[in-house]
Amino acid sequence: MMDVLVQQLFFAGAEVWLAVMAMVLLVVGAFVGNRATAAISYASVLVLAAAVAFIIGLNGHPRVSLFGGAISTDALANFGRIMVFVTAALAIVLGDRWMKRVGLQKFEYPVLMLLAALGMSVMVSANSLISLYLGIEMQSLALYVLAAFSRDNPKSSEAGLKYFVLGALSSGLLLYGISLIYGFTGQVGFAEIANALPTSSKVGVVFGLVFMLAGLAFKVSAAPFHMWTPDVYEGAPTPVVAFFSSAPKLAAMILTARVLTEGFALATPEWQQVLIVIAVLSMIFGSFGGLVQGNIKRLLAYSSIANMGFALVGLAAGTAAGVQSVLIYMVIYMLTSLGLFAGLLVTARQGRPLESFEDFAGLAKVRPGLALVMTLLLFSAAGIPPLAGFWGKFFVFKAALDAGLVWLAVIGVVLSVIAAFYYLKLIKVMWFDEGDRPVDGIAWDAGLVALAMALFVGPISWFVLPVLEPWALRAAAILF
Amino acid sequence: MSSVGLPHFLGVAAIVFTVGVFGIFAARKNIIAILMSIELMLLAVNINLVAFSTYWGQVTGQIFAMFVLTVAAAEAAVGLAILVTFFRNRGDIAVDDASVMKG
Amino acid sequence: MGLYDIAFYIISAITVLAAVGVVAARNPVHAVLFLILAFFNAAGLMVLMGAEFLAMLLVVVYVGAVAVLFLFVVMMLDVDFVRLRQGFAQYLPAGLVGAIVLLVEMLVVTQAAKDIRQPMVAELRHPENVRAIGYELYTDYAFYFQACGIILLIAMIGAIVLTLRHHPNVRRQNIARQVGRRREDSMEIVSVKTGSGVEE
Repeated sequence: MMDVLVQQLFFAGAEVWLAVMAMVLLVVGAFVGNRATAAISYASVLVLAAAVAFIIGLNGHPRVSLFGGAISTDALANFGRIMVFVTAALAIVLGDRWMKRVGLQKFEYPVLMLLAALGMSVMVSANSLISLYLGIEMQSLALYVLAAFSRDNPKSSEAGLKYFVLGALSSGLLLYGISLIYGFTGQVGFAEIANALPTSSKVGVVFGLVFMLAGLAFKVSAAPFHMWTPDVYEGAPTPVVAFFSSAPKLAAMILTARVLTEGFALATPEWQQVLIVIAVLSMIFGSFGGLVQGNIKRLLAYSSIANMGFALVGLAAGTAAGVQSVLIYMVIYMLTSLGLFAGLLVTARQGRPLESFEDFAGLAKVRPGLALVMTLLLFSAAGIPPLAGFWGKFFVFKAALDAGLVWLAVIGVVLSVIAAFYYLKLIKVMWFDEGDRPVDGIAWDAGLVALAMALFVGPISWFVLPVLEPWALRAAAILF
Repeated sequence: MSSVGLPHFLGVAAIVFTVGVFGIFAARKNIIAILMSIELMLLAVNINLVAFSTYWGQVTGQIFAMFVLTVAAAEAAVGLAILVTFFRNRGDIAVDDASVMKG
Repeated sequence: MGLYDIAFYIISAITVLAAVGVVAARNPVHAVLFLILAFFNAAGLMVLMGAEFLAMLLVVVYVGAVAVLFLFVVMMLDVDFVRLRQGFAQYLPAGLVGAIVLLVEMLVVTQAAKDIRQPMVAELRHPENVRAIGYELYTDYAFYFQACGIILLIAMIGAIVLTLRHHPNVRRQNIARQVGRRREDSMEIVSVKTGSGVEE
């Protein structure tokens, strides 16, 4: 009995470690106060690094189901956890330095980040509807607070409020769907649901599935559930936006892939249709909506909506290659997005952040290095061939083609060309527009993150992709 | 013998859920009304879960409903805290129009 | 039609009407009170379904905590609710049509369970509701239980970090200092010469 418990806690080591350390750091912060914020931030980066090291140590271990089928430790979960933890660590560093500059340093920031990462870790390893729900809520509650974190800023609290209302609404839809699925199958575990499907009322289950997918689509801010996403991106503190444009979306994608393939493989044609509709709408809204934006953070919000559409194309394929392509796509998107938001944090004018197209006019003359880094990231986001972003799209559309979804892939390619316009517009503004107003000094932390991400989407990706590809395939293969 | 069964309870839940969804779209600007509508939706979910739990003769649904209750309470606390900060900054709780950010 | 049926129809009618009241009430305080009414009656439905413990929880947690929290916020924030309700009528028709479509679909689906018209007070595996929940909650569902604890912790941190303000100019009681004060630190006996006052 005892051995079983110890064994289970060992395989859930990353989660247990994060939960315990978040509480320890919280207590330290509560006693020492905000003086300790920097120390707590770096400690939480170390905590995340240790968790990553532990998971790498588990690499290659066969799937273990934990706590009566609540979560499992397997290749897909580990893939997700590593990516989430790395992103969270980067966002903690970015956020800590930024908050120091704007005088908002609070020790709760790294603690909430750790807890959000814990929620995502539960999401990527969820094996039952209850852990799916609890993981999402754990993550979302922490993110609502982080979005409203600069509490004296009206825009930030409005962003927090809107994010919260959307999130709560989506939880309601998700839960109603879950309750129907539970009701018509009598099960909450994904594997048990799959076994019960043949004997249960099809219409009830599919109806529940649609509600659940609507809830999940809200969570990745896919269209038609994207209203207010641009507001949230514009208003929330930039390092927080950098975080929630990246890790939560990967976690939600992995979760969606897992629940659909492990629980509802028998209903594949049904959920495929829903995903195709959501994907096409997201690509359309994201690509066209971004064209008219004047604010870069809003533009990146539309970009993320479009990107979720592209990723869902891969998921809609419903094959192992499809899930593999989603994983690759999401990792590349995540790091590109993180780099772009870090780029927004690098400099300012008299303390005012650069956020609009006019702010970026002629940036290449005053800060050529930053302009170069941003250009590289934007080219990758636009999907220009030798860069990583191109390969992400390539894998996704190839998976869709192989699954026979030719027209979906064609729509995707066309819309990705349209979406490329707004990235190229920003590049044009930086290099060719007039304007050489001076900017403040460089924030090196953000600069280094942006530079690292730019190098990643550029030369490093050529070495990483050959590793990432089989790794993602191994992760995806456990679902099929 | 009673003629009330599972479909009846599910029907009540469906009506309450729809009223909640309708309330969200009808309230538009009034955040407190939106939050209350969300509570109605969660209440409907709980009725569903308990009804199915009784139907299958397992407690899973009831325990799930307990978790939903807990999380909904946490959600309400966070939501109202965010609402209070918003009110402190703006002196009002209307979101949609007169927005600092153009929608 | 037995007593059970009559109870069901009365309670569910009140639940639905109260839910409508929450959405339609002009005064937000009335809306919160309708919400409380809806929760009470939903608790009644749960008793009818044999979930006594959950019914009690619903009353204690929802009516006792969440609804009161709502009431508190409604009273605390000085909001012009009349202005907020403008535009309500404008969206009403479209909203109603949408809601009715959704409702019909949902009813059709949930009535798919029609062939299973069995009485709802079925026997659970364990005879007593609380005991049954207790057995499983702390064993099979221990992981979820812990996760819920973390979620509540997050909510607590969130509420504090967003709303707590330290006012620097407020005098606070420092008990350690107060107790640690000695006579010598705070009192001195000086002999004062007539007409010259105390010298510092």
